[in-house]
Amino acid sequence: MRSGFRKPGILLVLAALPVFAQLLTRAPQFQLTPLHGVDFVLRNSPTPRKYLIETMPGGVALLDYNNDGLLDIFLVNAGHVPDPLRSPVHFERDNPKYWNRLYRQNKDGTFTDVTEQAGLQHAGETNYGMGVAVGDYDNDGFPDIYVTNFGKNILYHNNGDGTFTDVTAKAGVAAGGWSVSAGFFDYDNDGKLDLFVTRYIDWTPETSKTCGRMAEPMYCPPGEFGSTTNILYHNRGDGTFEDVSVTSGIAAKKAHGLGVAFADYDGDGFTDVFVANDATEQFLFHNDGNGKFSEVALDSGAALNNSGKMPSGMGVVFQDYDNDGLPDLLITQLPHEPYVLFHNDGNKSFSALELETGFGALSGTSSGWGVGLEDFDNDGWKDAFIVQGHVFDNVHSYDNSLRYRDIPLLALNNRGHFQRGSVGPTRAVAGRGSAFGDLNNDGWIDAVTTSLGEGPQFYLNRGGKSHWLTITLRGMSSNRDGYGARVQVNGQVRFATAAGSYLSSSDKRLHFGLGDNSKAEIEIRWPSGIHQTLRDVPADQFITIKEPERK
Amino acid sequence: MIRVLLFLHLFLQPQAVAPQPAAQAKALLQSGIDAEDRHDIDHALVEFHKAAELDPSSSEVLLRLGDAYMKKHDAAEAIPPLKRAAELSPDSIPVHQLLGYALLAQGFAAEAIPHLEIARDPGALGIAQLENDESAKAMVNLQSALENDPDNPDLLFYVSRAATAAASQSTDKLLAAFPSSARAHQTRGQGYYQRKMIPEAVKEYEQAIALRPDLPGQHLELGEIYAGLAEWPQAEAQFRTETTLHPGSAEAAFRLGEALVQEGKMKQAADELRRSDSLRPNMPETLYAMGRALAAADASAAEQVLTSVLKIEQNTSLAAQADLLLASIHRKQGKSALAGREMEDYRRIQGLRGQ
Repeated sequence: MRSGFRKPGILLVLAALPVFAQLLTRAPQFQLTPLHGVDFVLRNSPTPRKYLIETMPGGVALLDYNNDGLLDIFLVNAGHVPDPLRSPVHFERDNPKYWNRLYRQNKDGTFTDVTEQAGLQHAGETNYGMGVAVGDYDNDGFPDIYVTNFGKNILYHNNGDGTFTDVTAKAGVAAGGWSVSAGFFDYDNDGKLDLFVTRYIDWTPETSKTCGRMAEPMYCPPGEFGSTTNILYHNRGDGTFEDVSVTSGIAAKKAHGLGVAFADYDGDGFTDVFVANDATEQFLFHNDGNGKFSEVALDSGAALNNSGKMPSGMGVVFQDYDNDGLPDLLITQLPHEPYVLFHNDGNKSFSALELETGFGALSGTSSGWGVGLEDFDNDGWKDAFIVQGHVFDNVHSYDNSLRYRDIPLLALNNRGHFQRGSVGPTRAVAGRGSAFGDLNNDGWIDAVTTSLGEGPQFYLNRGGKSHWLTITLRGMSSNRDGYGARVQVNGQVRFATAAGSYLSSSDKRLHFGLGDNSKAEIEIRWPSGIHQTLRDVPADQFITIKEPERK
Repeated sequence: MIRVLLFLHLFLQPQAVAPQPAAQAKALLQSGIDAEDRHDIDHALVEFHKAAELDPSSSEVLLRLGDAYMKKHDAAEAIPPLKRAAELSPDSIPVHQLLGYALLAQGFAAEAIPHLEIARDPGALGIAQLENDESAKAMVNLQSALENDPDNPDLLFYVSRAATAAASQSTDKLLAAFPSSARAHQTRGQGYYQRKMIPEAVKEYEQAIALRPDLPGQHLELGEIYAGLAEWPQAEAQFRTETTLHPGSAEAAFRLGEALVQEGKMKQAADELRRSDSLRPNMPETLYAMGRALAAADASAAEQVLTSVLKIEQNTSLAAQADLLLASIHRKQGKSALAGREMEDYRRIQGLRGQ
């Protein structure tokens, strides 16, 4: 009888072999590579007083600021934290050690620090840096940069000649308080990018406190401080923005906002907003299409995790992981609860499927921050890349099963089920931000991550044999970069956005893995409502698709 | 000290009669008693002192004096007159009882014990024994006191402490006498786990299991550590071994089922949770976990078990979770009205719990 039971077991293993073999051959090969010329260090300046702001920076953006076809890198620095910290705080941002930095990519793959040349060295003495958003808010063809801070945020207009101008005062987008992530999107489909800013907590140096043991204090959780609102700025089209947080309904909800991501989850033609909140219910702001938003997370099943608990939402990405054409949500959070995966069920509702999809076995004791759903192995299924590291630098003293520094998680998507992949030889860091894009234009998506107290990490994807296609959208009646467009290639869907992840902004180009297909069929629904189809498009190329005239 | 004084109010009964003092001393004694009746303890103390000077051999006067000091929460001053009273009246229960209290209040537990034994005061004696690291004896006396006064919160508190101390002493003995035994490793593993020293705890459990893989509970406890770390494959392996060794354990089956849920192995999970339910029926946690396991594949079965959770649990966090999961199932089925009703219930419970 015993031998009778053994045979099916062997058969099962044999049956599974092709799947594993496929995963092995298609698994992305990352190489952690220093990029020549990038000497940035994210200086968060931790103090014994455990000011919570020290735990949260900083963002990274992948953008082609000079339109030379090569991705450049913008990195947000934090600042020097005086001890004790008192308002008004001076974070020594005029000291070059604490500047944000723009690195221009040269044709040979090296980078040149052009921060001063670009006029980006002034981050604001009273600003402690957090994140970055990128978007061409004035549709002049050059991406602009918005930097979030604890303090005042800054909008840098790209002048198109390699320089930027601080236009915050004119634009009216300084916000205030503790801003975290931000993103450009066009909520009213008027062709002009609007701006959403998440804010974390109502915190000042004066209200700061420590938690934990007297002898070894730790940072306090957000619940020790007041909740706050997020901000929505409407682009008037004349270089100024209007704060519509109250009139739109966005400010009606208070929480602890961190990550933000955009997609039209219900296919009504209007881009919706998801905010990852720390230790409170998540927010799904449904765009009602009339300038107003309704917060519907709880009733749509996207507020709580599989156990009905409030996730400690950090980073978020709003893309379709299972190729059913509907954007899903992947949210990173603190350890002991799996990263949350809300599957879009297609009837304006979501189901938490992190366990069914394998994330329960992948999250473990890690804390996740920046996150991307990108097809790293070009097999036609979006994989997850998650930057990890605990919030508290002394967490090990409180729970030695947890670690402050961690390596990223690569979760390979095998037809909707995720399995652990390898990011290659790497080292543990206190990871925070992450942006994704094809740095070397080889058709394979790379990852750039930030970590506290050290330089960024560049995971260059060495590629493989599968086919790919990378699309740049050129909006005409829609916003110039086509943010908010739904682009379908051979059945896979991406929602055009540079936002998502945590504090960061990714390559605006839309990348698709095509597997063995050497041709692609492309369908685009532009934010203007225009539909466009392209057939028999050859694979393995970068193409720009211009929005057609309305017929 | 405060806890002992609390006991004074609980247990101190005016008792017994001391020898007659001299006439003048008797008048002063009465005057002091009258002052006490007027709650004028300071005046009573003056009168009792005078009486004691006049009649230093009166154990009643000395008892009154000690008692007055105890009423002033001054056990240190109460001890000398009470000790003298005990010498004069070695059989006086009130004298020994009060002296025992005073000594205990001052932290002299060992010295208090013989007096409390004479006074036959099991509650106070148990406390003194507990303070004197005689937890086994303390347990007996405290249990005896609890039989007469089952709802006394102080007694319940000390019984709990005595049980903890007795367990600790047994543990110390186990670790000292059999340091390399499986049970010693298991015990050390528990201790490390409580102190959140996880790698150390895991190592101890592994050593325990290597020595005695058949002992009940070890795989379950190690599995729970792995579950706490969200290391589900390892947790599953331990729970599975526990269920193999102890197929009648509903808890082991439940834990295994939960680990399988976390791993997304929903069908296996549902089977194991059903088995747990058959071993110990209608445990709401088991039924809820079964609902989660069934939700994706068999919505109507999930609905059925979650509904039974709600029959058992009302207004609890588990009930709220069940409502939430039911709402999700109904939404997926397109039954938006039912989903809305579950969400209303969810919000109602959350509202109640927030109050």
